Formats: sequence, structure tokens, C-alpha cells
Amino acid sequence: MSAIATKYEVVVGLEVHAQVLTQSKMFCGCSTDYLTAPPNANTCPVCLGLPGSLPVINRRAVEATIRTALALNCEIPEFSKFDRKNYFYPDLPKGYQISQYDLPFSRRGHLDFDVRGAPCRCGITRVHLEEDTGKLLHEGAIHEAQSSLVNFNRSGVPLMEIVSEPDLRSADEAREYVMRLRAILQYIGVNNGDMESGQLRCDANVSLRPAGSSELGTKVEVKNMNSFRAIHRAIEYEVVRQTEVLDSGGRLTQETRGWNDARGLTVSQRTKEFAEDYRYFPEPDLPPLDVSRHWVEEIRAGLPELPAARRERFVAAYGLTPYDASLLTSTRPMAEFFEETVRLGGPAKASANWILGDFSRLLNADHKEIQESSIKPTHLQQLLHLVETGGLSGKMAKQTFDAMYHAPDPAPALAEAKGSSQISGDAELAGLVDQVIAENAKSVADFKAGKEQALKFLIGQAMKLSRGRANPQRLDALLREKIV
Amino acid sequence: MPEPTSELSSREVEHVARLARLGITPDEVLKYRDQLRNILHHIEALNRADTSKVPATAHPLEERNVMREDRREPCLPADAALRNAPSREDSYFKVKAIQE
Amino acid sequence: MKLFHRTIRDLHQMLRDREISSVELTQSVLDQIQAVGDRTKAYLLVTKELALRQAHAADERLRSKRDVRPLTGIPIALKDVLCVKEVASTAGSKILKGFTPPYSATVVERLEAEGAVFLGKTNCDEFAMGSSNENSGYWPVHNPWGLDRVPGGSSGGSAAAVASGEAIAALGSDTGGSIRQPAALTGIVGLKPTYGRVSRYGLIAFASSLDQIGPMTRDVVDSALLLQAIAGHDPRDSTSSPKPVPDYLATLGDGVKGMRLGVPKEYFVAGMEPAVEQSIRDAIRLLEQQGASIEEVSLPHSDVALPAYYIIAPAEASSNLARYDGVRYGYQAEGARNLIEEYMLTRQQGFGAEVKRRIMLGTYALSSGYYDAYYLQAQKVRTLIIDDFKRAFTKVDALLGATSPTVAFPLGAKTQDPVAMYLNDIITIPANLGNVCAISVPCGLADGLPVGLQVIAPGFREDLALRIAFAFEAATEFHKAQSPLMGAAA
Ligand SMILES: [Zn+2]
Repeated sequence: MSAIATKYEVVVGLEVHAQVLTQSKMFCGCSTDYLTAPPNANTCPVCLGLPGSLPVINRRAVEATIRTALALNCEIPEFSKFDRKNYFYPDLPKGYQISQYDLPFSRRGHLDFDVRGAPCRCGITRVHLEEDTGKLLHEGAIHEAQSSLVNFNRSGVPLMEIVSEPDLRSADEAREYVMRLRAILQYIGVNNGDMESGQLRCDANVSLRPAGSSELGTKVEVKNMNSFRAIHRAIEYEVVRQTEVLDSGGRLTQETRGWNDARGLTVSQRTKEFAEDYRYFPEPDLPPLDVSRHWVEEIRAGLPELPAARRERFVAAYGLTPYDASLLTSTRPMAEFFEETVRLGGPAKASANWILGDFSRLLNADHKEIQESSIKPTHLQQLLHLVETGGLSGKMAKQTFDAMYHAPDPAPALAEAKGSSQISGDAELAGLVDQVIAENAKSVADFKAGKEQALKFLIGQAMKLSRGRANPQRLDALLREKIV
Repeated sequence: MPEPTSELSSREVEHVARLARLGITPDEVLKYRDQLRNILHHIEALNRADTSKVPATAHPLEERNVMREDRREPCLPADAALRNAPSREDSYFKVKAIQE
Repeated sequence: MKLFHRTIRDLHQMLRDREISSVELTQSVLDQIQAVGDRTKAYLLVTKELALRQAHAADERLRSKRDVRPLTGIPIALKDVLCVKEVASTAGSKILKGFTPPYSATVVERLEAEGAVFLGKTNCDEFAMGSSNENSGYWPVHNPWGLDRVPGGSSGGSAAAVASGEAIAALGSDTGGSIRQPAALTGIVGLKPTYGRVSRYGLIAFASSLDQIGPMTRDVVDSALLLQAIAGHDPRDSTSSPKPVPDYLATLGDGVKGMRLGVPKEYFVAGMEPAVEQSIRDAIRLLEQQGASIEEVSLPHSDVALPAYYIIAPAEASSNLARYDGVRYGYQAEGARNLIEEYMLTRQQGFGAEVKRRIMLGTYALSSGYYDAYYLQAQKVRTLIIDDFKRAFTKVDALLGATSPTVAFPLGAKTQDPVAMYLNDIITIPANLGNVCAISVPCGLADGLPVGLQVIAPGFREDLALRIAFAFEAATEFHKAQSPLMGAAA
């Protein structure tokens, strides 16, 4: 890509649609749990667009949008409203989508991320709130199907649209931007980050311009990318395709292209007969909103630590490399797993290595998230402790971790490793016991005087000397034998 | 501001009908064009009002921030959603091919 | 006097006293529908079984004296724009033929809770767009005062039903005069509440920022009773006002003595029939005799109200009516090869000419390049009209004028000329745009046809409008005049 990149500059802007995590839909009380419900079961007069029905705004969705905007360093105007976007499509029951046009909840923010350690910043144009559409099902490609089936369970699910400035200069940057954005949305609890099922969706506007030029080239909108990999591949593909068109003296058409993941290419979607005219106007059924500074501050106060801040803290507090810290903070559950492991006594560097190494490798192979694994921070911490105390070799630890990961309960595998690393032989323990008795005369005397508590202390001292590997039951017996 | 009225053309009528997804015959194009021209001619009176310093009223009431709490309510009972559908398959609404 | 001649208040007393039963009363009205229904064509659907079932339930309630409300057992007609669960609700349009909503409008639920009896769905102009009821997708309604005349519109069926004894009272909806104008043309009382006073949930929308549901009754007391039952905040309508609802009956009889009443000079429009003007001038004098002081006021932007309305209402309608595409409910055209063709055919065949005209007008007004010149300008003019009223109400308590510049005109007289038809609403539209309330009360006959006096009061002052209307009614006999059909042998 570098050869072509010198001739043309790649210009990418992203529009990310994120379903807001709410119990009920944007404008009605229907459940948002549309993936598992029977078709059209999660519907009511409002989200079916029945005559006479009226929308009522879900407060939580509004607050989630403002929350997101704050996390993306946006300005929050004091006045906002909803508008109707008018167009016909069978998944749009009212013939218009309630969205936001000229007065969205937020504008002018930015998102910082990095590409292989190099810091990048992308402008955020706006974050606004709208309602999702229903879903169409058809045999084969949409334009070839003889008929489609419509399910309105998704209709009216709150949907944020996060529009970036055309600040991204490569497929790498675009992918990192979305990864970081996804992490933030998950961190602040407004979206589950699931791209595969479409709860997080991304469209890209891709254009090329001669290097050094400041004008924007003809922009192509790419849709249907439902993974980070797809975003990367689709943009790379577009850059090559557009370069070829330009190099051969051709002209690009402004169009929408769909990413076909199986074939690894973008396909032109039918160019419209005439430009869409959405005839936006203020939604008369919904009074506008005064977004008071007090309300904004209340929402801001509820924001958790964001990935960027957490990453810096990880570097400073745990001595991690920025790269490792960046990876660890890419999802909130992973960052929390790490911190909990450390809090329980796991060494920071080793904890990070295990989480980013073996653990991530196993999770990736299974397409699982860290919180779905049966391995919890306490298990990892205990394993690390065995390694640290020398009872478990690196090779053994890897085998143990593998066994822990694949078992429904990691405890037995962990116990087995513990057992194999324990010093139980009386011969080996005798030296320890002698040393403890010699060094703790007062405790020995106390025990002799009948203070049971003193024996516990002596066992603890022996455990310490053995770095935790001594068998405490055997220590108990040997100490009693020798002291009496 | 464009000079809106009197020039409403047949092409514009066809465009508007298309935007509104209204089938329209060639005869109707002419009929509606003439009627709409006449109506728009009367509507031109709007420009008599000096609105240079006047804000627009989109929402007549003073109420603001009307919102509900994020609580689930019962959905329609099974089949009620689909009962009025002209075409359906199982529990889905069925529509014709989308190709234009 | 037959039962169907009486008012809600009379009948309520008789029901309470067990002098009559709701079933008897309901049967009396159903008989009248049977007798004259084919002449007025007021109903699109008579829900006889439902009515009798509700009447039985009401009688049970009356018998046990359990939660007896002013409307318990009273037969009421509902304009077809109101959704009633499991009852065909079509908004007078073929595109909704056979549509039975799975839910009821809030006002319908409130009337049900009162124990009212639903006679059926009354005819109206398609999607409430019209001033003569000739735009009904099914058939026109005939005025009980002269069957060759229109009853006004769009709530023409509700008006004709009340005026012919086919209902004791009815609900209508008013976007630009659709309650008041037909009330005036059929000699009954029609009240358009302030926007936000009555929930619109379940009202099939025409123009969302203007639509209001209101009572159509034989007299002003009944208007107050019916409004009392339907007014108030509804969490399902974000534009319904949380303002408390006053007791309308409590102040009804307080009179107009000492009140300042304004007469907007702009409301005596060109083309007003001399006999109508005479009736209105007489009515104003009568209120003066009742102790009100009368002064001329000016609402300087009245002349741009009509053009503003004919942008705002069609623009909102073009969007509200986009949902009628033949996919989820209603009419679906046959023979289309693909979906877009099906949309076009369904809407071409399902909508009538006036609805299509307004959809195109509204689509045009919102379309790229025209939004500022039309829609935005109309919204600014709306502000001017609101300000006109605010200014006037600093000087006077309420405003008086005609409801309609003419009496009921012959069927077919204006159907070829949309603009002439639009002019019918010239003095009712400002109240919708200006966010005030207004009532039309009978004030005489001109050539044997009813004339209506319009009383306009500030926003949420329905109590005042009712009180003035009641003072006028109490001093006159006009509301007692009955249409010839009222006397028709059952
Ligand atoms: Zn719903």
C-alpha cells in the first residue's frame, strides 16, 4: 500500500451506528431484546407505526447519548430536538425515521487513539440519537429476491449515530479508531460492542486525493462491514480500486458500495434515480429538549474512568509499556480482569503477559470475551503465585492454564498444580522447621505455655520461608513433634 | 429564496409525486399542476408578512423535556401485530421484491 | 319529545332516577339511525351490538349506583379518525378499509371508563381533510337541515348525527375548523380545545401540531360535560399538557357581566353572507345587553393564517400519511411487479383526490430548495398569529366572530375549486395556528339554515369560552331549533 499512498492521500470518515443499551425502545415500552424474540413479538402500535400512535422519548437513551458525547469530548448544546427524516422503505414503518437533523445532542468532539504506538486524533462531527429500523429477511441478495419478510422487533430500538470528520488517513487508522470507539462505548455502558449481530455498525466514506491537495475527492460510501477485519479489508480494497480507476484516467462516481466479505470486494449498490430528498422537519409529536448544564454535569459525574486515562494510569502505576496498557484497556472487562488480578496479589507485568498472551490466544480462537471464560482473576493470581514461588515451571504453568481454560471449573486443575508443587517430604521440611524454631524462641515458649495461636505463627513463618510451597498439615505435625 | 410559485412544472409535479410514492397518470400531472399552481398562488400571500425578526414556531406548547423512564411495557399480544397485514408469511409481514 | 331529542344532562338525570334505562335510550337512538341514516349518511359504521352491550353494562352500573358518571349510559358517536380496539377505524379513507386497530384512543378509553355507549364511527372527510365532508372515501354526508346541503367538514358525520338525533353527542377533531364549522352548519355546539388539552393518542393524525379532539353536542352544558370527561394529561401523548383541568360546570353560569369581548375586524371577511353577518352582529349586541363591553380589535395577520395553514398542515400530513403503504395494514393494490410499484399503486388507488393534492403540496413545501420559502416562512407566520392573539388578549377577555362566512352550501358547489373550498376555514384556522380554544354556538337561522357564533378564548381557557357561550345560549332559543330530520317519524 505504501507505493500508492505516496501518490494519493487516503481520506476516510466513519459513521458508526451503536444501539443504546436500554430495557425498552426509544419511543415505546417494547423490549429491546430483539435477537431472541419470535418475529414481530416485540411490537406495539408505536413501533409498528399504527395510525394514531405517538412516540414518547426514553430518558435513558438521551442520557446515554450525552454520556457518549462527553466521552468523545463533544460540545453539548443547550437546546436540542428531534426531526423526521422522510423516506420509504419496508423496514421503516412510519415512512419516516425520528432522528436529529440540525440540532443534535452534541457536536465538535474528538477521539484519541494510536496506531502502533503513534498517537492519532480524529474529529467527531456529531453524536445524535435516532430509532433503528425493522429487519428484512430474504433469500439471497436483496435485489434478486422475489420477496422479503419483515420483522419489526428491531424497529424503534434506540440508535446513536457517531459521525467522524474525514480525518482518517488509512485502513489502519480507521480500524484503530473503531476499536477505540468500541472500547469507549463498552466502558461507559451504552453499547455491547457486538458487531457481528449489528448492534454496532460501521459505514465508511472513502476517497482519494492527490498528495498535498486539500480538496476532497469523490467519495464512496462503503457499507456492510461487520468486523474490524472487514473494515480494514474493505477500505484497503477501496483504496486499491479507486487508485486503479484514477490511474487509468477514469473518474469515480459518488455511490454506495457494499462490502462482500466472502469475495473480499466492494460491489456497487444500485445508484439512485434521483438524489434522496429526506424533507427533514421538526418532529411535531415531540417537544424539544432544554439540556441544562446541571443535567450535563450530572451525566458527566456518572462517567467511569475512560480507556485513555486508564491506560496512562496502568503505565504509571504498574510500569506497563504503553502498548501493553493500550491492549489491556481496549475492553473494560479485560482491564478490570487485569486490575483485579493485581489487586489479589498477582505481579503486574506477569499478569499482563498472561492476559495478553496465552489467555487472549485461547479466547480469540474461541471467539470469546474474557468475561465469558470460567477463569477468573483469582485463578490466574493463584497460578502466577505457584510460578513465582518456583513450584511450577513455565512449561507446567502453560499446561495448567490450558487445562484450567478448557475445564468448566478451573479449580481442580489449579489444585493439581498446587499439589505437584508442594513440599511434603518430612526430610525436606525438617530443615525448615529447625530454622523456624531457632529463630522464634519467644513463640516457641508461648506455645509451650499453651498458646495455640503461637503455633499458627510458626507455621506461617515456615510457609514464608518455603515461599508458600510447604504442606501446612505436615508443618503442623512436625512442629508439634519437635517442640514438645 | 427561490421564486416558488407559478412556475411549478409538470416535471416538478412528477418529481413530487414520486417522492411521495403516489402513482399519477399523465392527465393527473396536468390537473394537479394547475390546481397546485393556483393554490401556491394564494399561498404566496405568506410573503406579505415581514418575518425577518420572527422565530419559527414548530411546537406550540411551552413544555420541554417530556420523557419517560426506561421501563418495559407489555407488547401487543401475539398475532395482533399481524392481524391487519395484507400479506404475511408465518409471523412475518411479506413484501414484494424491492428491486426498482 | 323522544329520548333521542334530549341532552346529556337531561338524560343523565332520567337515567339516575331510573326513569329510563340506557338500553331504552340506546335503542331510541338506534331506531332514529335506522329511520334517517340513509338520508344523512352520517355513519360509516353503526356498532349496534357493542352499543347494546355497553348500554346493558351501564344499566348495571346505574342500578347498583356504582361509579355513576355524567356520561354513564349516554349514546355517543365517534368520528372515524378515532381508533377503537377491534372496531374498524378508517379515517374515512379507502386506504384503511377494514383496518381494526388493536388498541383504543385515550379519549375512547376515557369515555369507556365513564360508561358511555358507542353508537359507531361517523363519516368524515378522508383523513379529516375537507370542509364539506365530500372528500369522504366512502360517501358524502347530507345536512339534516337540508339534504341537498353539505354538513360542513371534516367532522360532518358527527355533526349530522347530533343534529338529526342519531347521537346524543359526538366527538370530532379540529385541525383548521373541522369541529366548529360543521357544528355551525348543522346548528349544534362544537368546541375545539386548546392544543394539548385533550390527548391525541389514538387519533389518526392529519396535522400533528394542530389536531385536537373535541365535543360536538346539542348545547353548551353538554359540551362542558363531554370536555370534562376527555380533557387532561396523557403520558402517551408528549404534547398533552400537564396543566390541571378545571371544573367546567362550576363557572358555566357566571355570566358575561363586566367582561370585555373583542370583535376582530378582520373576521368580517369579504364574501361573508349578509345574513350570516347580521346574525353575528345581533349575537354580539345580545352579549352586550348581557353586560359585556364590546370593542373592536385587530388581529393584523389574519390574512396570512390561511396560507400558513395550507403549508403547515399539508407538510405534516405528507409525512403522517407516508405510513399508508399497504405493507402492515389497510389497502394493498394488486398487480404490482415490485414493491415500489406497489407503493405507488396502493397510494394512487387508496387515497382520494384532496388527500393526494395535500400530500403533494406538503411534499413540495418540505422539499429541498423550498423549505425556507414555504415551511419555515409558514412557521414564522404562525408565531405572528400567536402574537396577534396574545396582544388581543391583553385588551379583551375573549373574541367574537362568525364560525363560517356562509351557511351550508349545496353539495357539489365547491368540489371543482379547491381554493374556494379552503376559504370556508378562513375564520376558524387562526385559532388552530394561534394555540387558543374556540367554541361555535348556534346563533340563528339564515334562510332556514343554521349560523354559528364563534367564541375564541385564550389557551387553556375553555372555561371562559364555555361560560360566554352558555351566557349567550341561556339568553336565546337558537339551540332549541331542531333540524327537520329530528321530527322524522321513527
Ligand atoms: Zn413498541
